Amino acid sequence: MSPRFFVRRLAAAAILVFVVSSAALLLADIAPGDFASATVGGDPAVVKAERERLRLDRPIGERYRHWLARSLTLDLGNSFEYHRPVTGLVRERAGNTAVLALTSLVIATLLGIPAGVLAASSGGVRARTLRSISLLLLALPPLISAFLLVTVAARTGWFPVAGAGGIRHLIVPAFSLALPLAAVLERLQEDAMEDALRSPHVLAAAARGIPRRRVIWQHAWRASLGPVLGVYGVVIGSLFSGSFVVEVIASWPGLASLMRDALMTRDAPLVAGCAAAGAAFLAAGVLIADVAHAALDPRVGAHRA
Amino acid sequence: MSAAARSAFALLLLAVCVGVAPLLAPHDPARQFPQYPYAPPMRVHLFDRGWTPHAPFAYALRLIDPLERRYAEDRTRRLPIRGDQPVFLLGSDGFGRDVLSRTLAGARLSLGVAFVATALALLLAAFVGGIAGYAGGRVDALLMRVAEFVLVLPSIYVALVLRGSMPLVLSTGQVFATLTIVFGGIGWPAAARGVRGILNIERQREYAEAAYAMGASPTRVIVRHLLPSTFGFLLVQATVLVPAFVMAEAALSLVGFGFAPPAASWGTMVEDLGAGSMAAEAPWLLAPVVGMALTIFYLQMFVGSKQRT
Amino acid sequence: MLGRFRLCAVAAAVALAACGGGHQESAKPPASGPVRGGSLVASLRSEPATFNRFVNGGNSSATDLISELTQATLVRVNRVTGAIEPALAERWAASPDGRTFTLTLRSGVTFSDGVSFTSDDVVFSCAVAYDPKVASVLASALKVQGKPLQVTAPDAHTVVVAMPAAFAPGLALLDNLPILPKHQLEAAYKSGAFQDAWNVATPPGSMAGLGPFVLTQYQPGQRLVFSRNPHYWRKDASGAPLPYLDTIALDIVASQDAEILRMQAGSIDLMAQADLRPQDYASLKRIAGQGFTIVELGPAVDPNMLWFNLAPAAAAKSGKAFLQRAEFRQAVSYAVDRDAIVSSVYLGDATPIYGPVSPGNKTWYSDRAPRYPYDPAKAKALLTGLGLVDRNGDGLLEDASGARVRFTILTQANHIRGRVATVLQEQLKQVGITVDVAALDPRSMFQRFAAGDYDAMYYGFQASSLDPANNLDFWLSSGSAHVWNPEQPRPATPWERRIDELMQQQIAASTVAERQQLFADVQQIFGENLPAIDFVTPNIAVAMSSRVGGAQAALLDPKVLWASDQLYLRE
Repeated sequence: MSPRFFVRRLAAAAILVFVVSSAALLLADIAPGDFASATVGGDPAVVKAERERLRLDRPIGERYRHWLARSLTLDLGNSFEYHRPVTGLVRERAGNTAVLALTSLVIATLLGIPAGVLAASSGGVRARTLRSISLLLLALPPLISAFLLVTVAARTGWFPVAGAGGIRHLIVPAFSLALPLAAVLERLQEDAMEDALRSPHVLAAAARGIPRRRVIWQHAWRASLGPVLGVYGVVIGSLFSGSFVVEVIASWPGLASLMRDALMTRDAPLVAGCAAAGAAFLAAGVLIADVAHAALDPRVGAHRA
Repeated sequence: MSAAARSAFALLLLAVCVGVAPLLAPHDPARQFPQYPYAPPMRVHLFDRGWTPHAPFAYALRLIDPLERRYAEDRTRRLPIRGDQPVFLLGSDGFGRDVLSRTLAGARLSLGVAFVATALALLLAAFVGGIAGYAGGRVDALLMRVAEFVLVLPSIYVALVLRGSMPLVLSTGQVFATLTIVFGGIGWPAAARGVRGILNIERQREYAEAAYAMGASPTRVIVRHLLPSTFGFLLVQATVLVPAFVMAEAALSLVGFGFAPPAASWGTMVEDLGAGSMAAEAPWLLAPVVGMALTIFYLQMFVGSKQRT
Repeated sequence: MLGRFRLCAVAAAVALAACGGGHQESAKPPASGPVRGGSLVASLRSEPATFNRFVNGGNSSATDLISELTQATLVRVNRVTGAIEPALAERWAASPDGRTFTLTLRSGVTFSDGVSFTSDDVVFSCAVAYDPKVASVLASALKVQGKPLQVTAPDAHTVVVAMPAAFAPGLALLDNLPILPKHQLEAAYKSGAFQDAWNVATPPGSMAGLGPFVLTQYQPGQRLVFSRNPHYWRKDASGAPLPYLDTIALDIVASQDAEILRMQAGSIDLMAQADLRPQDYASLKRIAGQGFTIVELGPAVDPNMLWFNLAPAAAAKSGKAFLQRAEFRQAVSYAVDRDAIVSSVYLGDATPIYGPVSPGNKTWYSDRAPRYPYDPAKAKALLTGLGLVDRNGDGLLEDASGARVRFTILTQANHIRGRVATVLQEQLKQVGITVDVAALDPRSMFQRFAAGDYDAMYYGFQASSLDPANNLDFWLSSGSAHVWNPEQPRPATPWERRIDELMQQQIAASTVAERQQLFADVQQIFGENLPAIDFVTPNIAVAMSSRVGGAQAALLDPKVLWASDQLYLRE
């Protein structure tokens, strides 16, 4: 992989972050209602003063130019609601989200990928059981699965129910996120693996008398990574943007709940900041997945360089 | 019966149930029996206690403690299964509405939206992913950046803005159409990346090279030779997208985009569990979740067995 | 009645013990008086957006609670008894006309950082609250007839407060003004940076207050910890310094389900903002006594209501003249079986009501106001009288032009309000009225409201005060919260003019009995014209760990923590 490739991708990532945050800011602006109108029948004097202070009474073009000029210096402005810089707010939450996302990514990978390989290569009862479990996990809405985990934690007292803290606090939210994801990975891996096992070069390897374990893990698995890693990048990105349902139910202060609140109160600078963080995470995730794909599957590297 | 036939049969049965839901449903799904909130499922009897046979009936329920939602069976009153009587074969929800009727009615809307939107999303994914994977280079890079943009744009905000520009009251048809388009429009990027990943490899395989060498047009190579190899992947994606879209309808009801009451949809029924806390108290409210699980289970079985043959 | 006011509560100087439907935990006096020390853990549903009570966002329940714990006022309205009690002002005297009060400040009081408290701080706090540049959310609740109080300080320990007009609640108004430390905030105020002062990035511990606790730790999204203010001025009956508790921790738990689970698991002692939802009440009640108790407080004082858009423009726009008729609204009120809402949405734990003043508001509720018990026949008769009958035999009503009798209820998505609207829809269908429910997110809803783009709306306001004199925005036709037709230049209807007059007399009247009489007339006129229809009000209950002692629970928020200095933990 050439340095030029990285430079190009980094430039593309920067553009993505910029375009997404601009779009989010503008969407926040055209959305019905504004930050200042916090209730029905509020004090008109307060609403008016608040509009003036936040420049909500100015035309949208002027506000966007103002935001643009500041954002070029990496200053995303102050949150309307929190009266403090967006960057600080987003950094706090992004840290929490990153810890949770990494943990659940590891759990999901360790559960999903081997399960998928196993289901594709073994057949019989074992394969059917694995497949059924992952289908069940897919069908269970995150709302329900997260709540079940929280309830189990509360009833047994094994793990803290909510809040951020030590490793033990991570268990409930991390598994809530990881289980459905593991199911997705299992399905993808199993399907890709079945294809790979039928591909000529894997059949050829088996025919050469290479032990089955090695055929599976060295040849077939590597060849099956295309679609898995293709989705993986997206998965990383979305994990790092946080999950609103899990954050609320497990009281994990992450990006998604911050963003949802900002959306609901029309806190435009904060919406833009959260969207920027989400875009940055996604771009990074996709890049990592592409690099990993090239590293693991020699055919891709050869083609792309 | 083979696995394929069995799952095809099951899917057909589901489709028929959904199709004739209004005939099967014992009640109007909007009908409220306010005196019967969270009534448990009732048993169907053919004989009374004296072993006298009757047309299928259930014993009437009596609410003993509304707050605790405790009911007692009144063995002196027989209620026929059909007719406008408080008989709930699958229990009732918080409004005293029949869960069975609502699950059946909800299947039409929710599965309808989810399947159409999934088809739309996968078509888009095959199209965009196909071009990106086949062309590679700049086209690929550009299309993938577009996909990333769609992925990361807060779709709930797009819905919010869209809703703001629409009239206050939307008909069920309008909601159905908008949801389908919105879901289809935001659901494709992940699948498109996967398709592209597969095509990247496939196009180097001998048969594609051969077809190309023989003078086949790029479109023909993509459609006839390359896309079929992504079939399995797309079907896996379908099992992910269908339940996700069913729940997304509930998420969009937060910004006023769901099906308006009294329409029943699986998403809002699950949401109605009160973020899950009622699931333990009234497990029959999970009926739509079971419906969803069955649907994608048989879908996967059917697809899986077709693929292997 | 309006959320942006602080809880200021209640009546004139007379203590109305009956008022407020409060609950004093006096039934079982603890064997061994209050215990000193210990740490109480409560849950908080929402994150504070600022620590500054005065600025926009300061009226959120989180910031209000923080202010309640860390700041103090000149006088305090007891949330349970409704009496005005001395706080930072030790005593006061009123002028003969009852419009000027001379307050003597407690001597020797210092802020939590050790700096003395003087009348300068009071004058400063008032100046900030009234400054139009600050646009404080406290301002309107500190005004009488839209005019500020005149606050002067003849010496360091005396404050003179002059009311611009006769105002029956009198000094109770000052319960709305937390006293700020001038020495800390004057610089920010002078430089125009007051809006951003004391934001959530301000280091905890650096903010000085006169309240029982000081904020010492803040982990965003997770937890707020308050420690005893060593300089706190209030003593208990035996002269021992308050508060009893060493610390109060507020854990931020966004989901009410998680809150309940933690309550059951015993990891929190009480829920700071939360009264129990009907389904929680049932599941907790079942295991009450195992580590926690449930305190019942009676009918809530802030019911939701269904109001119709009565602005003249609305009738022209919608073309539904019948929505403007009082008979139509009366028919709607008769057509709804309130017990159906009680038993389904509230699982039986609510009280049917017929007007905006709940029976939970014992001082001001009038049983003279008209009632509309469930009577579909009467509803149909009223509708027929308006020419709304079923003309095509489909079971639904049509007007003279053959158009379906149909209107939209605008309400809040994912909220109990939306559930009530669903019942209303079904109930009104029974008398032939077609209802569409449009449930939106709050801001979209407010926007449609502001644009007048709705027929009817189901919504409610958080109670901030039980006294109607503090809710003039709702009652007066010129008010911004006169929701069915807000901010009228002059009263649009004779009955609105009459209510305006009665309310003006009501706030100036000198005795409570006289005020009650006048307000009963207001409720009667309101009930006859029904610009807004009330159906039910939930019965409020709070859950508390059994180890919490000294709790005085009240209907207004924060139900328990308003008297945090008296709380203690049993051993």
